[in-house]
This record gives sequence, structure tokens and C-alpha cells, in this order.
Amino acid sequence: MVGIILANINYRYYLPESFNGILCLYYLAAFSQNHKMGLNLSYSYRTFFSVCAAVIYMAAAAHAYGQCENTEKIPGLEKLYSQTWGTQFNGQRFQSSTNTSINAENAANLELQWVYGLSTQQPRSYPLVTEDTIFIGDGGRGLVALDKSNGCIRWENNELNDISTSIVSELVDGRRVLVFSGRNSGVYAVDASNGKVLWKKYVADDPVPMFSGSPIAYQDKVFVPISSMEIALSANPFYGCCTTSGGMAALDIATGALLWYRPTIEEPPKVTGRHYLFVEEYGPSGAPVWGAPMLDTKRGLLFYGTGQNYSRPATLTSDAIFAVHIETGKIAWVRQFTAKDAFNMSCTAAADHPNCPKPMGPDVDFGAPPLLITLKSGDDLLIAGQKSGDVYGINPDTGEAVWSTQFGRGGALGGVHWGIAANPDLGLVFIPISDVPALPSERDPAPGLFALNAEDGSVKWAVERQKKCEERGCWPGLSAAITAGPDIVIAGSLDSELMVYRAEDGELLWSFNSAKEFSSVNGLATNGGVFDAHGPMLADNQLIVSSGYGSFGQKGGNALLVFTVKEEKTHD
Amino acid sequence: MTDQRPLAGLIRRPIATIIDFLLIPLFGFILMLVSGAMEHAEAYAGNQLFIRPLLLGISSYVLVNGWLLYSRGQTLGKAIMGVTILSEKTGEKASILSLLIRSLFFPTLYLTIPPLMGITSFFLPWIALMVVLDQMFIFGKNRQCLHDYLCGTIVVR
Repeated sequence: MVGIILANINYRYYLPESFNGILCLYYLAAFSQNHKMGLNLSYSYRTFFSVCAAVIYMAAAAHAYGQCENTEKIPGLEKLYSQTWGTQFNGQRFQSSTNTSINAENAANLELQWVYGLSTQQPRSYPLVTEDTIFIGDGGRGLVALDKSNGCIRWENNELNDISTSIVSELVDGRRVLVFSGRNSGVYAVDASNGKVLWKKYVADDPVPMFSGSPIAYQDKVFVPISSMEIALSANPFYGCCTTSGGMAALDIATGALLWYRPTIEEPPKVTGRHYLFVEEYGPSGAPVWGAPMLDTKRGLLFYGTGQNYSRPATLTSDAIFAVHIETGKIAWVRQFTAKDAFNMSCTAAADHPNCPKPMGPDVDFGAPPLLITLKSGDDLLIAGQKSGDVYGINPDTGEAVWSTQFGRGGALGGVHWGIAANPDLGLVFIPISDVPALPSERDPAPGLFALNAEDGSVKWAVERQKKCEERGCWPGLSAAITAGPDIVIAGSLDSELMVYRAEDGELLWSFNSAKEFSSVNGLATNGGVFDAHGPMLADNQLIVSSGYGSFGQKGGNALLVFTVKEEKTHD
Repeated sequence: MTDQRPLAGLIRRPIATIIDFLLIPLFGFILMLVSGAMEHAEAYAGNQLFIRPLLLGISSYVLVNGWLLYSRGQTLGKAIMGVTILSEKTGEKASILSLLIRSLFFPTLYLTIPPLMGITSFFLPWIALMVVLDQMFIFGKNRQCLHDYLCGTIVVR
């Protein structure tokens, strides 16, 4: 019993191997040397101890399984394959042929190279890939540095157990630093060579902040989007909804000190009503920044989208795009695309819930970061996709919408949900449409992948996906962020399909169904599920993606899948 | 035992406990509503989430039972069911200290609620088992639960 309990504790909390080692030595000693120790154990006790020892040994072995043995523990940090959630600062999620050898010619040859079993059924960390290492947030296990070639663990930090963003990086005084956020715990800077925490910052202008949007590390600053747990607290009818505002913080990358903070709602909340005699209602609130920002280094501007208001009165800054000066946090412009949208999680419990805004808004945030693309004319255009299914071409200097195109029905889970991509060489923008029927709508769903001409928003090609399964949570929509390669687009779906399309015409080149069990390199029971949130990453000859996202009734999973195409051998 | 009053029966005592078990959270709930203690974001901030519910529970227990316990050795449930806590040794009203220690056992009753066991720690089912064991002692001599033994109290009509 003692052995089983300890093994359980070890499994849950990933105690260091030294702990297991000491226990093993103790039990083995008790078994073999009991007379010398004066314990004079009976046969049954010796059997008991040996079983305990076996259990502990197995637990220790399971933990040690997956650690790198014959490779360098210090990761290579010379080449980075991504800078943000949007892969590059411009948010295009595009890998050129210098960063990936996967293309339309060889995509059909993609094969599974290795699988790592994550310790969460809802992975939400976009990895940072270097020349030989994948850094990823592994649920309760914490931050891990995996050998890119085989998935073994170079180092891990088990204390960082709520990572919910992409891992980004910058050089600080010659040292490579990793930066990311824990969903509820704050922002971290970690030494990339060994995983040790350099600083931690809890940006607490809001009493219940949620760090769900990925940060950007650029030169001497870290930009941190701020959302709020009030979106969920509002489901409690005795909670006085709502008082918090979304925001963007800039921190000193060397120390974590706050440089500036820009709330999305400047107006302080006031009492707007009362229910159950005592519970006071507040507004305005919300306009969270739960998605990642995008950085325009040329203009020195940070662009990011906001969510809906949590309560009424609605503001002019919800469902909007912000452009903010990176040095000061001052607003260059704000453009709202859907007015008077107020919604919170209480509305999913009941439309007449006392905390559900009246009238209930459509909940059509900007979750996907905007991207910047240069047109043939040499002008830049900002492109933003909204959960409503609308896509906008926006003048990055003024915020004026140049064109807009609408897809499908849109809704609380997209429309465009987590991320769009672009191919600057082709002048195309790729739009994944989820269209999960989460809230009532008069429009028909049209889930699929669409390519737009960046110049005018006209549709170049469309791949509409059909429903092929009836289980709850299985839907053909594309909710996860997508990724573009030199001449391909990679998208994962809510029916667990990973697909590679030709960028020019949308032809399906390769697909893989991940709703199954896998044998993992770290020995953890591993299953795939839907593709959602951060989506795929291209690096070298590898395609890296985590499968499973057990929210909203979707199929969870804990598989970090690494596909590869064999490098073509050159002949002498 | 010096007091000649009959011991509280095996029906009165559990019913008195059930009354307290239901009334205290109900009063705490009203207290929460009136005070707004759980109404704002600050109540859910950081790792302090348990503090306000705990204080609400203690406050409602003291407000409902404090005066009755001090003056008559009864909780509201016990008063309704006509039973009283006495010192086992003297047969007189139990001391404040023993009543205070005794009242610490009351909140452990809520640990037996299955949903609570499901969402909390690995150890809670074992604590819940201890709570049941505590109550099982009532079938022994003097109908004392384990907490009565520990506090030196008996419950009489």
C-alpha cells in the first residue's frame, strides 16, 4: 500500500529520481539485509517489501524513461525557427524554404518520426524550435527541452506547470532567455540553457488576470496580453459581474519590471444594476486581450485584437484592433469592428442568467492575431480575422478598413478562432473557418480553408469541409491556427485530421487522422484528439504539432506529434 | 457522570446534527449575499480563494450557535431537538474551551459530501472515513462520539 501511494505521488508530481533511488535502496536493503538491520522480518513482510520495491522501481523507471542519456543536455540556441505565436513578428505564420524543407513536392512523403506523451489532455503551448531542441510547455510536468531528433528530455523544470502560451525568446546580456506565460501564475523568463527561472512577474492591475495570450519578446521588452478570469466567474449568479478590463503590459526583459500598461477600457466600472436584492452589477468591463499581439518593427507599433465586453454598457474598444506604440504604450489608433457585443460564460448556462448581458451579444472577439503583409505596390496591409467569420484588410497607419470578406456563420468559437497565415511570395492570405455551432445563428455554417488575395480580399480558392462523424465534439471546422510553408498550407481540424494543402490551388496533398493511441518516446499513455489552439509548426524537415484539446466537449489528447520527410541525399 | 438527565437518543442527536448541517451553510449563504464577501474579483485573487468561504463559515457558525453554546451548551439544532452538551466529569455545562474544541469537528462533516471528495485532494476520502468513524462511536458507552471522548463531553436530553 505504501509503495502504491508513493508511486502515485511520484507519478503525479514527478519527484526527482534521487527520491525514487533512496526508496528503492531502502526497500531492497530491507528485503535482502533484514537480519543484519535487526528487523527480523517474516516471509510475508519480505514479500510485501519486495512488491513495494518493484512498484517504486517501476515508477522510477517510468519517470527516468525519456531522459536523454547519450546526447548533450544543453540545447543548441543558435537558430530559432519562430519568434511569436504568429511565427514571425509580422504574424504571417509563414516558413520560407530557408527554414523548412517541407513543400508541395515532398509533403505526401510525410511520416511520423516520434511522438512525445504530454501530461495534459489540453495542450496549449506553441513550441520554440532551435537547431536541435524543441522547448514546450508540457502541462503539469512543466517546461521541457526535447531533443529534436528523438524526443528525449534534455532538461525539465517541473515548477512551471501552467504554461498556456507560445515559448518566445530573446538574447539578454548575451544569454538566451525563454519567455512565456502561465495561465494564472504570470509571466516567466527562463535561462534557455538549463530551465532555471530568472524572473517571474504577476501583472496585477486586474485582481484575477488570465495570461492566455502569448507574449512577444523584442529587444529589451516583453509585451504581455492580459485577459481576465471574470469571463468564467460571471457564471456564478452571486458574482457581481464585472469590473475588470483587458490590457497590454510591457515589461523590462532583464528584470520583469513593468514599463507601461495599456488597459483596453480606461473608464472605471460603476454599479449599473442589482439582482437578488444585494448583488451589484458593474460595467463597463471586458475587452480582454486573450490572443497574441503582432509586432511591426518598422513602425514601432504593436497590433492586437480585443474580445467582447463582459457586461454593459458596451465600449468602443471591444471586438476591436488596437495599434499601440511599443516605447510608450500610447494608442496610435483603435478601430472597432463589432459594436455593442457583451457576453460572458453565464450566457452559456442560461440566457436569463442574471449575469448574462441583456441583450446577449454574439461573442465575436478577435482571438487570432492580425498579420502584416506587403502588397505588390509596396504598401503594407494589416489583415485581421474575427470570430464572426469576417476578414478585414486594414491600413496599418490609420486603422481604416480597405476591404472585408465574410465566411460562414461565425460564432463564439469562430469563424476565425486562433490564427490565420499568409504566403507573402504568392500574395495570399489563408483563412481557417471553424463555424462550430456554439450559439444560435441565422447563417449556415461553412467550415473549411479559404485563400484570399491580399490585394482586395477576393477569394482565390476554397476548400469546404464536410461533416463525417456524428460524435459530440467532432466537427469539420478549422479552429486551430494554421501554418504556411513555401508552397503549402497546413491545417488541423476539429475532427482530428491534419492536412497539407497546396498553397496555389488548395489541392489536398497529405492528411493524417490523429484520433488514436500512440506509442510515445517517454512511455506515457498517449492518445491524439482534435487540433485546436496553437496549431502546427514547421522547422527544418519536421512538422511539429500537438493533438488533442479537451475543451468545449471536444476530443482531448496528449500527443506531441513530430512528422518528417526524409532529407534527400546528395550524390558526390 | 453526576447528572441524572437521560442521554440524548440515537434519533434526536443525528437530527440535531442534520439541522445544524443544513442551517449553518444556509445562514452563511445569506451572510455571503448580504456582505458581498464573494461578490467581487478580489475574493478570487491569488491563492487566497479559500479564506473568505472559511471566514464566512466560521462567522455563520458563531452567529447562529455562539450565544446558545455559551449560555446553554446547545447549538441551534440541539436546542430545537431539546438536547444539551454537558461536561462528562462534572455533569455541568461544558467549559468554553471544550465547546470550542468540539465545534472544530463540525466542519469536518462537510468533507463527507461526495462531490467535495471528488474535487479535492487525495487524502480527503481518508479524512471522510475518519469523520464516519467519529460518528460510529455513538453506539458505545454513554453514546459519546469520538469528539465527545476527546473533549470530555456528553449529550443529554
